[in-house]
Amino acid sequence: MKYLRRMPLYGIERITIEVVSAIACFILVRFLMRIYRLTRETRYLGLPLGFGFLGVSYAFSAFSYSPLFDFPNSGWMQLFVRAFAFLFLAATYYFSKSKKTPKRLWNTTLGVLTVALTTLILLTIISPQISRSDYVIYYIFARVVSLMCLCYISIHALKSTAGQSDPLTIAVPFGYILLAISQYSSLIWVVEASYLALFGGLAFRLAGLAVFIFLSYRTFPRIDKRG
Amino acid sequence: MKKSLRRDRLKIYGDLLSVLYYNSGAEKIVLTQIQAKINVPFDRLKKYIRETVDLGLIEDETSLKLTEQGIEYLREYEQVLNFMRRWGVVYR
Repeated sequence: MKYLRRMPLYGIERITIEVVSAIACFILVRFLMRIYRLTRETRYLGLPLGFGFLGVSYAFSAFSYSPLFDFPNSGWMQLFVRAFAFLFLAATYYFSKSKKTPKRLWNTTLGVLTVALTTLILLTIISPQISRSDYVIYYIFARVVSLMCLCYISIHALKSTAGQSDPLTIAVPFGYILLAISQYSSLIWVVEASYLALFGGLAFRLAGLAVFIFLSYRTFPRIDKRG
Repeated sequence: MKKSLRRDRLKIYGDLLSVLYYNSGAEKIVLTQIQAKINVPFDRLKKYIRETVDLGLIEDETSLKLTEQGIEYLREYEQVLNFMRRWGVVYR
């Protein structure tokens, strides 16, 4: 009861949603790793990496709402890690459209993104160089970047799947659009403090991840039997 | 597949196994037909067939029947390709 009193408003609900989102992302990583395992191409690592980072960011969100963990920087961590997760996904889609194999360029991009993320974490958490009062500004900036990445991915996925006879191909762009709406809702939440936007956004996020998981289980129905 | 292979070869193996599997009901499988379907020179086709036999994906070079491991590989290959298509990324 001591901990529950220190909980933020709707803390338990938010922690539950963050934990469910994190688990959903890690399940997706397991499916998406099969692409890399077959092709052995690093450019396809962006998908599992992106969803892996997304899962980590949701886990940090859960920590930030939980009074059980005393880690004040988890808010910053989730902010940067989530934005970079969407950057990894956008980079993967960008490189997958090229007919040539820009292996070196992709490896460089992967390295640059990793170094940039590490530097940001170092500058904000390990050796803070950024004023903590600027969190809202960074929050808006990170969400705008995420939203732009998701818009690009949605358009790319819609173009790639257009004209295909398989009805399930529409699921992925639909899932990304739901994630984009979720990011937009979180922007409204931080500007207007509307609980409708907050929980609407969380619901859209869960719906988007559920679409991806549904698609993955439909494609690999026997994964649990074969490992 | 434990062995790490180049992408081009993986795709050729997948296409080769696919052609062999879907033509397994035919009385005789003609190599020139396979060659036309997977679009590789004849000498390289024979080399790829030898390699797939060595990997245990095909029983032998005369029957060209897929082993259990070959069928499993083909299933995984087709599922992953389908998965990639659905995710909007294309394996080239």
